Amino acid sequence: MKRLALLIFILSGYVLHAQNQYKPPVIDKSPMDISYYPANYPVLKVQNKVTEPLLARILYSRPQKNGRQVFGELVEYGQVWRLGANEATEIEVYKDCKVNGEKLKKGRYTLYAIPYPDKWTMIFNKETDIWGAFMYDSKKDVLRTDIPIETLEEAAEAFSMSFEKSDSTVNLIMAWDKVKAVLPFSF
Amino acid sequence: MLVTTALCCLLAACEEKNDNNSNKVTVNPPAGIPHKESAITNGVDKSPMDMAFYPDNYPILKMQHKDVEPLRARLIYSRPQRNGRVIFGSLVQYGKAWRLGANEATEIEFFTDVMIDGQKVPRGRYIMYCVPYPEKWIIKLNSDLNTWGLQIDSTKDLFSFEIPISKTNYPYEYFTMQFEAADPGMELSMMWDSVKAVLPIRY
Repeated sequence: MKRLALLIFILSGYVLHAQNQYKPPVIDKSPMDISYYPANYPVLKVQNKVTEPLLARILYSRPQKNGRQVFGELVEYGQVWRLGANEATEIEVYKDCKVNGEKLKKGRYTLYAIPYPDKWTMIFNKETDIWGAFMYDSKKDVLRTDIPIETLEEAAEAFSMSFEKSDSTVNLIMAWDKVKAVLPFSF
Repeated sequence: MLVTTALCCLLAACEEKNDNNSNKVTVNPPAGIPHKESAITNGVDKSPMDMAFYPDNYPILKMQHKDVEPLRARLIYSRPQRNGRVIFGSLVQYGKAWRLGANEATEIEFFTDVMIDGQKVPRGRYIMYCVPYPEKWIIKLNSDLNTWGLQIDSTKDLFSFEIPISKTNYPYEYFTMQFEAADPGMELSMMWDSVKAVLPIRY
């Protein structure tokens, strides 16, 4: 029995030792990415091809489908979703603008979505630098707006967010699995 | 018999431990996630972006109501991989500006005024880059935000700090930046390959 105790003691010492080893941050399963309007602004800048100022920037993480049914399953309908993974998605607008017709002041916001089978409710919230949607507080909302969704023929493996210019608006295009949503901005 | 078993276990444990200290062990992807090219899909960056906070893991602390001090600093950088290459003096050349990562220039934001290397750095956002040498790093803060890291406009430099470097016990596969508490203030540790540099920051 004593010997067994000794063995356990030795092994637990090893486990503790292993735990004390420094483990640097691992590479995220859902890597972070950044999108700008104008798209690829930093690259345009070093190529001297900038024709309009930086108007918006999004920091988000990119979860992958990995064979799962995303909307209605992994991401539940009617629940606040962090629009990505890990830290809540952050959007910064560099001037006052309109989002889907509603006024938004320049600044930094957390951007959430509540997905439904036929629309997404987009939420701009004042509380930044938080993890996921676990601490979502609707009292800090500054804007909520509904947008329709479209069905994609081919499923998108990694969640993506990118800005594109259309005739009169700058569109934030969000796509994952077979769902695509477009949020229009006017600057 | 049990003693023998215990000794065997101990030996095995030591061997494993040595293995952990050998040059082979690096920053691995979390267990259970197949590390293969096909796991990286649809334009997900080869050098993924990451964030570091001081206090470390601030968003999680906040979620757990364990945030005892406010957010002081936030860093956005990309994490290139060693992939068997010699990094410093080769891939990253001595005496030349390096973006401290990959892709976009690394961005640091201080939410409070800080003191670095005896200089007062006002709260705000900066890009941060490095000029590495065999025995030291020069760290620069620059005002040219949201720029690609390959062409840094040094005319927009605001601050310059010289810091010593040290050698790590084992090579870091991924470039890593992390804030840690120090007395006083905090430290920003930067590690890649076998080089570690530490920038002390007071507030």
